[in-house]
Amino acid sequence: MSRLDSVIRRLEAQRACLEHAAALVGALPGPVLEFGLGQGRTYDHLRELLPEREIFVFEREVADGLNGTAGLPDNGHLILGDVRTTLPQVIERFAGTVPLIHSDIGTGDALSNGKLAHFLAAFLPELLRPGGIVVSDQDLMQDSAVSIALPEGVRPGRYFMFRAGPGAGPGFT
Amino acid sequence: MSRLDINIRRLKAQRACLNLAAEAIRELPGPVFELGLGNGRTYDHLREILPEREIFVFDREVAAHPDCIPDPAHLFLGDFRETLPRAARDFAGRVALLHADVGTANAERDARLAAFIAERLARILCPGGLVLADRDVAFAGGQPAALPESVAPGVYFMYRRGARP
Repeated sequence: MSRLDSVIRRLEAQRACLEHAAALVGALPGPVLEFGLGQGRTYDHLRELLPEREIFVFEREVADGLNGTAGLPDNGHLILGDVRTTLPQVIERFAGTVPLIHSDIGTGDALSNGKLAHFLAAFLPELLRPGGIVVSDQDLMQDSAVSIALPEGVRPGRYFMFRAGPGAGPGFT
Repeated sequence: MSRLDINIRRLKAQRACLNLAAEAIRELPGPVFELGLGNGRTYDHLREILPEREIFVFDREVAAHPDCIPDPAHLFLGDFRETLPRAARDFAGRVALLHADVGTANAERDARLAAFIAERLARILCPGGLVLADRDVAFAGGQPAALPESVAPGVYFMYRRGARP
């Protein structure tokens, strides 16, 4: 399998998981959070899938090609900076309200991926509302969560999906 | 259609076109030229579907994944405007397939580069040789070649050099 095959598989898996998650979220109220804007592709897909939702995006630095384009969230919905700094600053605002989180933070560096995943995973139960869904390129699952079967065609380990247990919300951690 | 959809469509079109072109040049000897290494994905795909073929890559600089960097003898590093004319002299009339993935958000710049490439195709390609590009590189002596059915018009372009120059 070439790198071209592999990126197509990854993007199709991402799209299938986002669509599955958007359907599962259904009527659960609240804003959507995305960790990692990247080229803005999945953000654009999420806002197309969930046009009525507020979507807040956490990103360290906006990619050159995206600055000044319609693919960028407005200032009120873009939380710029290292997520390890910004997330603790806004945790109270979102605590227990979030029905869907998409995290696509992986880089080529497995060690730093692992550290960031570990950091994010610790915050998820507090952010999510009960029944809230997480879609991620890294395994962020916590003991309290229930894994969701991946859409057909998505190889296990390529993407991760789970649902917060009934105890999720503020004060969980 | 979201940016994610568009990206997936573009990559699948690219793959379908590369696979078709590789099949079409099966009987033609001669090397492959890849203009624009980028992150090395299509180079990696080309060497997978054409394992016996020499592939020469052209780019201004190398920004590809370490596994997808050609050896120095197969890498023309520098501005296309200098490297392509040089390669055109060395490989005149021998190249079986030239793939150019050179498009950017700058349409004017892309049109100039496409014209620059197009002007050299009749000299570079072997008779019956193919050019596949993400910008229109129509050239004198080149006939449009059919793209895969799944590929929407205007996404990719393919031409075949006539049997006689």
